[in-house]
Amino acid sequence: MPNDAFFEVTDSEQPGVAALDVRGEIDVATSPELQEILVELIGREPELLIVNLTDVTFIDSTGLGVLVGAVRDVRAAGGDLRLVVTEPHIIKLLELTGLDEVFSVVSNTSDAVRP
Amino acid sequence: MTNTTSGRAPVDVNDVHRVELSIPADPQMLFLARMTAAAVAARAELNYEQVEDLRLAIDELCITLLHFGVSAGQIALLFQWDSEGTLDVVGTLVPDGEPSTNGNAPGKTGRSLSAELSQRILDSLVDDHGSDVIDGVHRAWLRVRRQELSV
Repeated sequence: MPNDAFFEVTDSEQPGVAALDVRGEIDVATSPELQEILVELIGREPELLIVNLTDVTFIDSTGLGVLVGAVRDVRAAGGDLRLVVTEPHIIKLLELTGLDEVFSVVSNTSDAVRP
Repeated sequence: MTNTTSGRAPVDVNDVHRVELSIPADPQMLFLARMTAAAVAARAELNYEQVEDLRLAIDELCITLLHFGVSAGQIALLFQWDSEGTLDVVGTLVPDGEPSTNGNAPGKTGRSLSAELSQRILDSLVDDHGSDVIDGVHRAWLRVRRQELSV
């Protein structure tokens, strides 16, 4: 599938929580759009930003770079960012890049909103 | 006729397989490189995890080439593998015009971070990799050896 990626901002029932569902392949072609959406969400100054990667089938260094930039910006503003990841090869990628130490990674959205 | 590589037994050239792919040096086209990588990895009898690893590694190799910046051009990929399970990929950037900054990639700060991550990914996923410039031509290459599944 050619560079298909879909982004959906979800309004959380919990105040201060913003959520983004991402689907498809996050690569050098689609990362700029992910970056734009994250910048817009971070501009709302959420206490917690949840990025759901459950339906992401591929992510490369440009996608990871965008997420690292986002977590830095969110934390600089006093909030936090959590990733929801279930795909084994994405978990492996986070581990081999050492980013599993950078991100809070959970396996479902329910855990993501827990304090 | 045989090819010899230091430390390895001679390989019959009849057992060496080659696939060439040329795509526009455009981020939108990298999915074609990943699809080809997966197909080649399967033909080279890499295991499932290595197929996924090679998809990502080829993507990173192409990103390395894209970061050199071209206004227009091609990425030429040569996949070559043998019956002993060694797969080599060489990517060459073939510009049509003067080098320029690629406008579709993330900003400079994001790019340097991504470049660092890209190196970490390639270090972890492949047995050897590198990039160089020969006579003004940018190349990036990698080597993967087939892992036998333990039963």
